[in-house]
Amino acid sequence: MGEAPTGAAGFLNVSAAEKTFGAARVLDGVDLSVARGEFISLLGPSGCGKTTLLRIVAGLMRPDRGRVVLDGQDITTRPPHKRDVGVVFQNYALFPHLDVRANVAFGLKARGAPADTIASAVSRQLELVRMSALADRSIKALSGGQQQRVAVARALAVEPKLLLLDEPFSALDRKLREAMQVDLKRILRDVGTTAIFVTHDQDEALAMSDRIAVMSGGRIEQLGTPAEIYDRPATAFALGFVGLSTRLPGRVTQADGDEVVVSTAFGPVRGLGRFLPGSPVLVGVRPERMALDGRGENVVRATLVDAVFKGARVQLHFHAPEGAEVQVEAPSLPAGVAPGGEMTLSFAAADTRVYPLPGDMEAALAAQVAA
Amino acid sequence: MTRFARLDPVALLALPAILYLAVVYGVPLAGLLARSFVVDGAFSLSAFVAFFSDGFSWTVIGNTIRIAAGVTLVCLLIGYPTALALARAKGAAQALILVAIILPLSVGVVVKAFAWQIVLRRDGVISQALIFLGIWDEPQRLLFTEAGLVLGAANVFVPFMILPIYSVLKLIDPRLTEAAATLGASPLQRFFTVALPLTLPGLVTGVAFVFSMATSMYVVPSLLIGDRFQTLATLTGRSFLFMRNEQLGSTTAVVLLVLSVAVVVASAALSRRFGGET
Repeated sequence: MGEAPTGAAGFLNVSAAEKTFGAARVLDGVDLSVARGEFISLLGPSGCGKTTLLRIVAGLMRPDRGRVVLDGQDITTRPPHKRDVGVVFQNYALFPHLDVRANVAFGLKARGAPADTIASAVSRQLELVRMSALADRSIKALSGGQQQRVAVARALAVEPKLLLLDEPFSALDRKLREAMQVDLKRILRDVGTTAIFVTHDQDEALAMSDRIAVMSGGRIEQLGTPAEIYDRPATAFALGFVGLSTRLPGRVTQADGDEVVVSTAFGPVRGLGRFLPGSPVLVGVRPERMALDGRGENVVRATLVDAVFKGARVQLHFHAPEGAEVQVEAPSLPAGVAPGGEMTLSFAAADTRVYPLPGDMEAALAAQVAA
Repeated sequence: MTRFARLDPVALLALPAILYLAVVYGVPLAGLLARSFVVDGAFSLSAFVAFFSDGFSWTVIGNTIRIAAGVTLVCLLIGYPTALALARAKGAAQALILVAIILPLSVGVVVKAFAWQIVLRRDGVISQALIFLGIWDEPQRLLFTEAGLVLGAANVFVPFMILPIYSVLKLIDPRLTEAAATLGASPLQRFFTVALPLTLPGLVTGVAFVFSMATSMYVVPSLLIGDRFQTLATLTGRSFLFMRNEQLGSTTAVVLLVLSVAVVVASAALSRRFGGET
């Protein structure tokens, strides 16, 4: 507390932002620093505070405490229309009484730009989002994907310093969503806009972001590149929320420098972490780090329950006798293995991460000890 | 018969209302209006010719439109912000405002008009307040003036302005105003470019309600301005009740009806034009 946030030289700096609604603390001291031109995702379940953080940056909401600094200027109390921060809303919020062209022109008109500047900027934006042919359409005559493009064009037309996107793809079907992700990335790269993208969809965040801020309970659990978030989750929440994983509750029996040995339902497991013996912990392993060949420090035997063919890879779900579940991802199903069969699985200590046991898993550990 | 068969059966549910209106309203009204076209037992427009060639008639029509326009304007200026506050309010506050708007409708117009007589007197609240604020130097009577009539009538009709605007306002996505703000529009710009155009259908409906009710009000002008000031409605009433001139009464009734229908039709057309866009 009281210290300057790390990366204070960022283009956007949010420091120690707090927001409470009634008894609910929606933002609990959030620090976030975004570099110029960066595409950053706020990823988390609903209620984690990501939309609140976005609204605070947009100026649509005031934080109870904390500061927002954009491009060297403190904008914490500045009203939204003086911020130069564009927003693409979840439901697009296009003006229903205006056509496509007038929607895109709205911001420049409000700023009193000359008519010819507006006209050329609008046609440039519509071209960028490939909507030039529909410029004179009514908003109601557009599909969801087209509305989305207009919303992006409208926000970019005023050349905002920062673009905020609040789950812009959530109303689109899967195929369209993936096409729009590629499109949006291309558009933002062309324009060079700094962007914050709010989503609860981890695939979307992993695919699009330069960095991801994983949020939970009004805090940023981890801020890092998609690879860092996936390969080295900082907390048990980040491990569980992003990607699949095998998670085993247990108790530390032996501390050994950067490694600990944890007693789990599978027996002793060695992993990375610094804990005192006796600490309740959670052991986590990514499915593709699990091997079916028995090589690795940690070895468990489990029963194959289900094999899901995913095209390039196969997802295998195992059950251990103690009720624990193990997720494995392999290039293919080994010959002679069928659901119901028992197999030896192994994983390296270097691929095994040990976290403090989250509160909601204490019961699982207690049940396991009792058994 | 074949035409009838093509009708939506649900439309038949309107039949009782249509029958009721036709029997107890339509037929007597037609009889009344017909009288204005009958002179000495034959069809004639002479009653209208006489009416429109009398300068006093034009004064009365002018009075009617001027008062109705004033009432509508006051209702709009008071009603629109109230409707905004009502739409923004939540929970108990919203219920309270709504009750405060609707409950006075249950107080009879006569009672309200008498109450306004007290308020508008030389020693009434308004006079005293304006003196206290230094706007007036000495007590003045608002009662039996056009300004007093407009104030009192606006009080009676303002719920009919608030409610249609509110019903449209609450359907507007609050994100639209937020989107306008993030695009750089100031609060005033937001109002004129987003909120106002989108609430126009409700506004037009409210204006039509209040204007047509204000053209045809009878009790309020009788009590607040008196007989020296005539509108089409009070003249119609006087013609039937005091002057026993049914010819004149039915003629002024037709003029009043045409005026009201014109307002309702015009506003419905406007409403449809903008209503399709919300």
